[in-house]
Amino acid sequence: MLEIDKVSIIYDSSQLFANLSLTIKHHEIVALTGPSGSGKTTLLRCIAGLESISTGSIRLNGLEITNQPAHLRNIGMVFQDNQLFPHLSVGQNIAYSLKIKRTPKKNTDKKVREVLSLVGLNHLIDRTVINLSGGEAKRVAVARALIAEPQVLLLDEPLTGLDVELHGRLLEDLSKLLRTRGTTVLHVTHDKAEASAIADRVLDLRQLIS
Amino acid sequence: MIAIITFVVLPTFNIFVSSLRFESLNLLRTETIRNVVWFTTWQSLVSTAFALVIALPLAFVTANFRFKAQRLTTSLVSVPFILPSIVVGVAFLQILPNSFHRTAFALILAHTYFNFGFTSRLITARWLQIHPHLDDAARTLGASPLKLFTTVTLPLLGKAITNAALIVFTLCFTSYGVVRILGGPSRSTLETEIYFRAIQLGDVSGAMLLSALQILIIVSLFVVTTRASRNRFEQSTRPTISRQKSLQTRKQKFIATTIISIATVFAIVPLLAIAFKSINTNSKFTTTAWRTIFTSPEISHSLIKTLTYAVIAMTLATLLGLLSACSVAYNNNFRLISGLTTLPIVISAVSIGLGIIITFDTKPFDWRGTQFMLPLAHALVALPLAMRVILPVLQAIPDSLRQASSVLGASPQQTWLNIDLKIIRRAVISAAAISAAVSIGEFGASSFLARRGAETLPITISRLLSRPGDSLQSQAFALATLLAIFSLITIFVIDSFANTKFARESHA
Repeated sequence: MLEIDKVSIIYDSSQLFANLSLTIKHHEIVALTGPSGSGKTTLLRCIAGLESISTGSIRLNGLEITNQPAHLRNIGMVFQDNQLFPHLSVGQNIAYSLKIKRTPKKNTDKKVREVLSLVGLNHLIDRTVINLSGGEAKRVAVARALIAEPQVLLLDEPLTGLDVELHGRLLEDLSKLLRTRGTTVLHVTHDKAEASAIADRVLDLRQLIS
Repeated sequence: MIAIITFVVLPTFNIFVSSLRFESLNLLRTETIRNVVWFTTWQSLVSTAFALVIALPLAFVTANFRFKAQRLTTSLVSVPFILPSIVVGVAFLQILPNSFHRTAFALILAHTYFNFGFTSRLITARWLQIHPHLDDAARTLGASPLKLFTTVTLPLLGKAITNAALIVFTLCFTSYGVVRILGGPSRSTLETEIYFRAIQLGDVSGAMLLSALQILIIVSLFVVTTRASRNRFEQSTRPTISRQKSLQTRKQKFIATTIISIATVFAIVPLLAIAFKSINTNSKFTTTAWRTIFTSPEISHSLIKTLTYAVIAMTLATLLGLLSACSVAYNNNFRLISGLTTLPIVISAVSIGLGIIITFDTKPFDWRGTQFMLPLAHALVALPLAMRVILPVLQAIPDSLRQASSVLGASPQQTWLNIDLKIIRRAVISAAAISAAVSIGEFGASSFLARRGAETLPITISRLLSRPGDSLQSQAFALATLLAIFSLITIFVIDSFANTKFARESHA
């Protein structure tokens, strides 16, 4: 369970929001909407440990993680622009977190193939990520985050910028994938239809501020 | 292109042909030459490693943080690279105790000083192109700061580090002024041995053989390194969000302040040492040396000659650099021009001087004694830098701007004058400034080509230092300070133009 309690964030000397509280249950998919510039992405970055909060606390499964560095939180994130490592192949990108944890190569290879088949990209395992299409890159980014088995997965506008057909297909696949794996998800989007399609609960950021 | 072929390619070809013609190959088997090659190689390797050791932490701070006086600091640590090599030699002669003179340590320290700022700039430029969200992605996947550096940052910086190391190694391998001043006869490198054989011993064939050997080593190194790093990934655009953050935690402030302080002190102390020595004769403070350099006919003549040559070399190098940059930018596959303009880096200034001497000393090209050979050689030495200052700015101009100009009725010439030239004019001024700085401080080719009575400032400094007497030494230090001041002005001109609005946007 992820608990965000009375969090305030000051960004570039101005207060983005104050006293924001939110609880996400285990296996729950929550979508967070709100206008551009309202601080949705910054909130995700704070939960991931990439930015600091000014006041309040963040707890994961009962443990205080407010001041824990990002690499120790086990919170995954899919970035709006994917941020695949350009010097690594598709397979190496996906295997990254396992390599960091020094997982034996045999297990790593097996897991990479499993995750790749889940996102339907087994044939691309050795391909460079530079020439992937928008949809393929997005699938690789999701697979890379999922293989680490994060306790919470943060999705930052993951389907923005895709054409309508691809958006619809990926939304369906992503929703199915997350539910099959029972991943706890906080999905940030400005698209209310997308939010309703994927989430158990849809919240507006402004409603969370007391 | 004709100029490069005539005055670089042809003399180089001549060096190779002539070195084979003479029966001097046995020279390579002598212990003296084997020792010279070995010393040149290992001191270059160690100097390159030291330059990287200082440059990497500095690049880490300048690429990842914003701090007060960042531009000033960046400019200051860049000054050593543009300093005339003789000034660097003179500075370390002054700050190092006598027991360190003529030692490998002195040479390595001076070479490290000469190259660390430049190396840091090259690595910083590449580091700034790495999207900060790549770091974030790695961190959310469990990478600690050290793992992030070794698995993401370092591989992405790999090509920039290799390129920087290659250039620094080449510069140390072909370093002349620093070795002449600090190494003396006991610490000879291939470059000083070429000069020693050609000028002191009159063994021109031996000098040509060593020059050919040096060129072969450097060219082989360039070919091997370029091939090895060909497949390495390199992004060419700067991300839309900056990775530079303000210093927030105490730890960040401490690390950044320490690194910046060490680098800045290292850059400034040698300059202060020569300035101090220029006003300190026989342990007394006096401005005599400064007054003498402006009143002595010999030195004034040298000053005027140097400035005259600098104006000619600057004009030639800037024009050639502009033409070369245009040729490469407008014809994407024009690798020949790009390769030819790199030649003066690969072929050392001393070899260019030697090549010109042996090529243009017979009819119908008996130009050796003419006044234009020296500024021409200076221009060729400056050309690679001038061209590389203009080229990135020219390449960053989007074609859509030219197309917009065309549909508004401008002819290709009008478009070039009103769009391209207006955008690159500051880069052209920077190229001119750097060319003038190179000419003023050039020592290697000048040692071969400067005629008696037409010596340039670095030659005059070298002569003053070789004569006994504290007042003559102080004059040498005053002239070295003058050259250092000119270098400081040049780097500030370049940096202030590089930070203009378009230059910033063109990186985005």
